[in-house]
Amino acid sequence: MALHSAIVLTILTLTVGCSEPRSDTTLRFGLANTPANLDPRFATDATSARVNRLLYSRLIDFDEAARPVPSLATWEQISPVHYRFFLQPTRQPFHHGAELTASDVKATYDFVLDASNHSPHRSALTLISDIHVPTDNIVDFYLNKPDRLFPSYLVIGILPANLIRTNHPFHEHPIGNGAFTFIDRPDDTHWRLMRQVDRQYVELLRIPDPTVRVLKLLAGEIDMIQNDLPPELTAYLDTDDKISIQRRQGANFSYLGFNLQDPVVGQHRIREAIAHAIDRTSIIHHLLHDTAHPANAMFPPKHWVGDATLSGYDYNPTRARALLRQAGFDEAHPVRLTYKTSTDPIRLRVATIVQDQLAHVGIDVSIQSHDWGTFYGDIKAGRFQMYSLSWVGLKTPDIFRYVFHSSSIPPRGANRGRFIDTQSDRLIEQAQATQDLHRKSEIYRRLQAHLLHVLPYVPLWFEEHVFLARRNITGYVLSADGNYDGLLTVTRRPTSTQLTRQESHQP
Amino acid sequence: MIRLWVPLFILGVWSVMAIIGPALPITPNHIDLTQILTTPSATAWLGYDDIGRSIGDRLIVGARTSFLVAFSVVFIASIVGSCLGIIGAYWGGWVDHLLIRIIDIFLAFPGILLAIALAGAMGPGIENVVLALACVGWVGYARLARSQVLAIKEADHVTAARALGASSGRIMFRHLLPLLSAPLIIELSFGVASIVIAEAGLSFLGLGVQPPDASWGSMIRDGTRYMLVAPHVVIAPGVALMLVVFAINVLGDWMRDWLDVKSLTRER
Repeated sequence: MALHSAIVLTILTLTVGCSEPRSDTTLRFGLANTPANLDPRFATDATSARVNRLLYSRLIDFDEAARPVPSLATWEQISPVHYRFFLQPTRQPFHHGAELTASDVKATYDFVLDASNHSPHRSALTLISDIHVPTDNIVDFYLNKPDRLFPSYLVIGILPANLIRTNHPFHEHPIGNGAFTFIDRPDDTHWRLMRQVDRQYVELLRIPDPTVRVLKLLAGEIDMIQNDLPPELTAYLDTDDKISIQRRQGANFSYLGFNLQDPVVGQHRIREAIAHAIDRTSIIHHLLHDTAHPANAMFPPKHWVGDATLSGYDYNPTRARALLRQAGFDEAHPVRLTYKTSTDPIRLRVATIVQDQLAHVGIDVSIQSHDWGTFYGDIKAGRFQMYSLSWVGLKTPDIFRYVFHSSSIPPRGANRGRFIDTQSDRLIEQAQATQDLHRKSEIYRRLQAHLLHVLPYVPLWFEEHVFLARRNITGYVLSADGNYDGLLTVTRRPTSTQLTRQESHQP
Repeated sequence: MIRLWVPLFILGVWSVMAIIGPALPITPNHIDLTQILTTPSATAWLGYDDIGRSIGDRLIVGARTSFLVAFSVVFIASIVGSCLGIIGAYWGGWVDHLLIRIIDIFLAFPGILLAIALAGAMGPGIENVVLALACVGWVGYARLARSQVLAIKEADHVTAARALGASSGRIMFRHLLPLLSAPLIIELSFGVASIVIAEAGLSFLGLGVQPPDASWGSMIRDGTRYMLVAPHVVIAPGVALMLVVFAINVLGDWMRDWLDVKSLTRER
């Protein structure tokens, strides 16, 4: 223990010992990744989406159950193919002073829908046939086919129409009407924003290495961090008096995927054996330090199409061995599989544990870890037998068509396992055609039960969101989808020294 | 003599670990999730790693990986490099020019970056690491052999052998190669140290052994992530790697002095 403490002290001294906690009023937020694009028309990564929520407003938002709720606008369904959105009467102007009107909404969505602009969000919005602006406060969306989930798709931040026309570089100088104004980007690792309501400055700092991020938090160089930490570091900080911690059940869905055209994992019995051979409870408890919850479907039970009654596959090596024998495999003829994963440390650890657990039932797994580009390229091209990945930020159940419908094999969708199942196709089509939301959710629940039975994926778990801050940071509310909206309310409590100083300056 | 016996002892332990490792009753890939990052104790003298495997057991298996990679690479690189160097220098003309151009091309890239690029292109795996490092490593031997042969190919005994009708192959490998052995052995000893480090570096980058196999480089890579909460995970393979590289370098220094005619003359 003495050695441990000495080493930690040395590391602290060498890395951050020369700096002291900063005394200015800027709040500093440590990020693992940079926001790749601050233009919401083109941003696709999670960090950009989370930062863009602070800079731009969108027409709708989501509640706890991922149902669409009004944000910048309320709406009314005039007909199955006509939605009318009413902009909120008390809305913030754009950061450059102009009022936000319905024309700005139309200009933003027209830009995304224009194929020549190559927006990655266009494909999700192609059901829009026309956009009309009857008044400055009303936008009409006309669809080319009915879709009751349509409002859920309108999550792109609204940009000023006059700047869209002049090709303003929003990715460098974002101008929206969000709660935060973009100040500057001194270098590739710093973004400075200002909260409009109280002129509070917030600095986003990119610190990719989790250990360095933790050391900077402990040293007071940054005030808060969220997610992207190994579970051990979270547990380590949990015991530190200087740090407060918030946890919240998340919806990021981790799973094992299979190539269903493969002669081995294409067999249902083999996939069922794999599901029974993995001890998820033990992995969640020991490896993930209980920062995850077992999953039986893509959506958590709290989601409006979630199903709390689904019962997953229990850890049962005996049953797994029996299934393998039924499939014609035994110790003399073991199942041999290749498991592809990225070089992400936690994914590699999970892969190695799964490899060990599958070996106990007679499945010989060879792991291939590749850099993200190679790995993702292989997965999209179907060059795999088994892989692990996560779905992040799932909101609407139209994802089922994208992932499991037989017409969604890449490049047309994300049916990477080449899953072709007539019953799943039928249920997906039925759910999409149904206009009654209650009936729609029932069909999606049946679909999820069916998917759990046929196992194109073996569901693993939903990862938890974790927020860590210094004790004097208050008011941050961790959201269900891990966004950074807590920055809207976060404040730093003055230290006793600062209070004394303030008091001494009172007249 | 401490310069001889201390490195020999360290390298002896390394070699024994590598050679008899598979015969030992160890379980380097056994995972016990309840032991994740457990510190050293009487039952596990180096503790457990990030998925509950014995670090001591993995250190022994990792020694074998480092040993096999180091000696495979040095063997391939020294044979290929020496042969090409001797042939180029002995034949001269366009053969020598071609060799020099190829060597220049290889030297234009930093060695480890070229190895990373090759290993990345061929995919992760220990065989590919050996090939990548051998592709980069032969150049040093070729340059050394070429320069030595250029200096001695006109020596009297070579002229005599040629006059007696000895074939080119016989002259190169019977009359020239033995005279290159001293500098080549010294180059070889330093080569082992650099390959051990290069293998560790490639494994550190995820291009070396694949899970669950162990290598010191991959153990250090995994351990660095837990320096705050479990420093023992990185200390054990780090110290092992440092000792082996240190021992090889000290032994190489000793051999250079021992084979140096001038220093022998002085001592005598």
